[in-house]
Amino acid sequence: MSTSRQHPIGGSRRVARRQPRLLRGAFVAASAALAGVLVAACGSGGSGGGSGSGAAGGGPVHIKVWAWYPDFKQVVDQFNKTHKDVQVDWVQAGVGQDEYTKLKTALKAGQGAPDVVMLEFQELPTIQLTKGLLDIGKYGANDDKKNYVPWAWNQVSDGDHVYAIPVDGGPMAMLYREDIFKKYKLKVPTTWDEYKQEAAKLHAADPKAYMTDFGSDESAAGWLQGLMWQAGSRPYTYSASKLPNIGVKTNDDGAKKVYDYWGDLVKNKLVDTASYATTDFYNGLSSGKYATYLAAGWGPGYLQSVAKKTGGLWRAAPLPQWTAGGNAQGDWGGSTFAVTSQTKNPKQATEVARELFGTSEAAWKIGIDQAYLFPLATPILNGSYFQDKKYEFFGGQQVNKIFGPAANNIGTFDWSPFQDYAYNTQTSEVGKALQGQTPWSSVADNIQQQVAGYASKQGFKVSQ
Amino acid sequence: MGLLLVTPFTLLFLAFLIAPLCYAFWLSLRTSTLVGGDHFSWFANYKQAFTDPQFLSGVRRVVLFGLVQIPVMLALALVGALIIDEVTSRLAKVFRMTLFMPYAVPAVIGALMWGFLYSPTFGPVNSISNALGLGSVNLLSHNLMLTSLGNIVTWQWTGYNMIVLYAALQGLPREVYEAAKLDGAGQIQTALRIKIPMVSSALVLTLMFTIIGTLQFFTEPRVLEPTASSVISPDYTPNLYAYNLAFQYSEFNYSAAISFALGAVVFIGSYIFLFLTRRRSGLK
Repeated sequence: MSTSRQHPIGGSRRVARRQPRLLRGAFVAASAALAGVLVAACGSGGSGGGSGSGAAGGGPVHIKVWAWYPDFKQVVDQFNKTHKDVQVDWVQAGVGQDEYTKLKTALKAGQGAPDVVMLEFQELPTIQLTKGLLDIGKYGANDDKKNYVPWAWNQVSDGDHVYAIPVDGGPMAMLYREDIFKKYKLKVPTTWDEYKQEAAKLHAADPKAYMTDFGSDESAAGWLQGLMWQAGSRPYTYSASKLPNIGVKTNDDGAKKVYDYWGDLVKNKLVDTASYATTDFYNGLSSGKYATYLAAGWGPGYLQSVAKKTGGLWRAAPLPQWTAGGNAQGDWGGSTFAVTSQTKNPKQATEVARELFGTSEAAWKIGIDQAYLFPLATPILNGSYFQDKKYEFFGGQQVNKIFGPAANNIGTFDWSPFQDYAYNTQTSEVGKALQGQTPWSSVADNIQQQVAGYASKQGFKVSQ
Repeated sequence: MGLLLVTPFTLLFLAFLIAPLCYAFWLSLRTSTLVGGDHFSWFANYKQAFTDPQFLSGVRRVVLFGLVQIPVMLALALVGALIIDEVTSRLAKVFRMTLFMPYAVPAVIGALMWGFLYSPTFGPVNSISNALGLGSVNLLSHNLMLTSLGNIVTWQWTGYNMIVLYAALQGLPREVYEAAKLDGAGQIQTALRIKIPMVSSALVLTLMFTIIGTLQFFTEPRVLEPTASSVISPDYTPNLYAYNLAFQYSEFNYSAAISFALGAVVFIGSYIFLFLTRRRSGLK
């Protein structure tokens, strides 16, 4: 839950879920049911169109953008300075779920959505399915395909249809406390087996220390999914052009392997189980209670902001592998810019989505240095500014030399168009296992049963 | 003329209560799926609600919660009210203010604050129990969560109910006490035999409000959810479930049905309660 501050992380589910809960609790709690109904009631048949008016009598077209990156203002200023006919009006409409709730309400009401909206990858199919997103392939977005890593482009497009422009990603790696590793003579693990051995060694040497924290809240749902992604799990087979077909297999071998592995660590008390969105967790990161943090590409910046006083003690290493010498990777989080179906200026909105960051070095320097974004545009990702950047917090290590190759080795992945339901189910089932109410071995099957049931009820033709 | 004066109220009442209610009811009679389209489905959503294990387990949970928490809270409020009614020193004022103060703290802030107090690492509860060598207790675990939530709600609402009961006590005619005293009744007997029966309609009122509030239990579990999401599931209480159905699962129709089903439970429950207590409540 978070409380109030804007966090320096680029699109990630974790961020998304972190602070805003409170706010959500606060007003939404009070007014949710009534307000939702009212908005829906008043809004039917509205005229559509964000704020994009402008332009009738000359002058630049104004495009309204919802985004939550820290220091995004500088990026917007940069854009407005370099564009004459299009100007961006930026609105901070809340982080993650907060923004999505507003967007879904606006889409359902038929008015009030912005022209361009920041969405995390896993949210795209959900919004696209409700016809909330414009196919910007028609407005030239396909030309950008060559600028992005294939797995990322694959997630925003469906053949020639393009539903968003990727911005940042979250390839995963292992951040670890070098001082703790030295103190207890731990070896930097390269496989998950070694990771478990070192966890046991550490916990035996200091019962108050843990190898890491196994988050079980919604902000950790994407984390766990990223680890399963690495293990080869592909829970959904989905493409917007093949509706109503969907493949649901949340209990495939990769998923089961990950649940069994972490279930075992939890049972042996080798990892802590605080929720990711809590002060207990932040405290664990800065007090040395956790020796590693399995992070995404935006993690170094995040860690820097929540565990300031541990500056210089951390190092980055590749994510442990299931098979020695392997090179499997997964992604956790990441954001895109999508154009909503309510825009009145699809051409200009597409231009904004493509060029706010795009491959602009000036914009990306702000994104990398201030907002801790992990670029998915290949010229930036593989460019020397990003690759060679040294991080004081990591003792001068060029951490992007670890995350960079990971980003280039992520396999393709389909999200379901009901990802909120899927993540919530995952969170509840993992929660039950953590509380000892169900065995870990049945977690994956329980999720499969519920998610497949939900999908059929929603009219999908489900193949399992 | 009288009609004219109530017009503003009537308009607002229609626009902000009756119209949304009608719309929600209409929504609840339809079924719209992500890819299957939208159709009129009569009472299918209600049928589903009353056989939905997630909804029913939420209802059972809040009923269980209420059975324990409501009596405890009202007993505390009543005792508090009787004490400050009896004691007329300056201390009574301080006592009254202190007990009432939690009510002035917004429920969200209260729940958040307790979230910190319950924290296994920072919480004073754990620091004290560790210092005493009792080991740590996880107040946010599955077994203790309802108790922990009950504590928050009790802390928040006892003072409020106490003030209502105190106001009722203040309205009683003092001569009755004189008579009781002449008949040899002590303070406790006066309280049990005179005061409590005479404020029973206020008791019914507070009980009524509390029951309605409990069935709609939402804010506290919602705020603690991120700290203890392995315990507080999306269907932890019926209201939380309705919220998640609408805003996370896009099941607006079913959410409307759940809300109406909950409303029906509250309405029927209150009606029965008022009917049974009609003699005490002064509503006969």
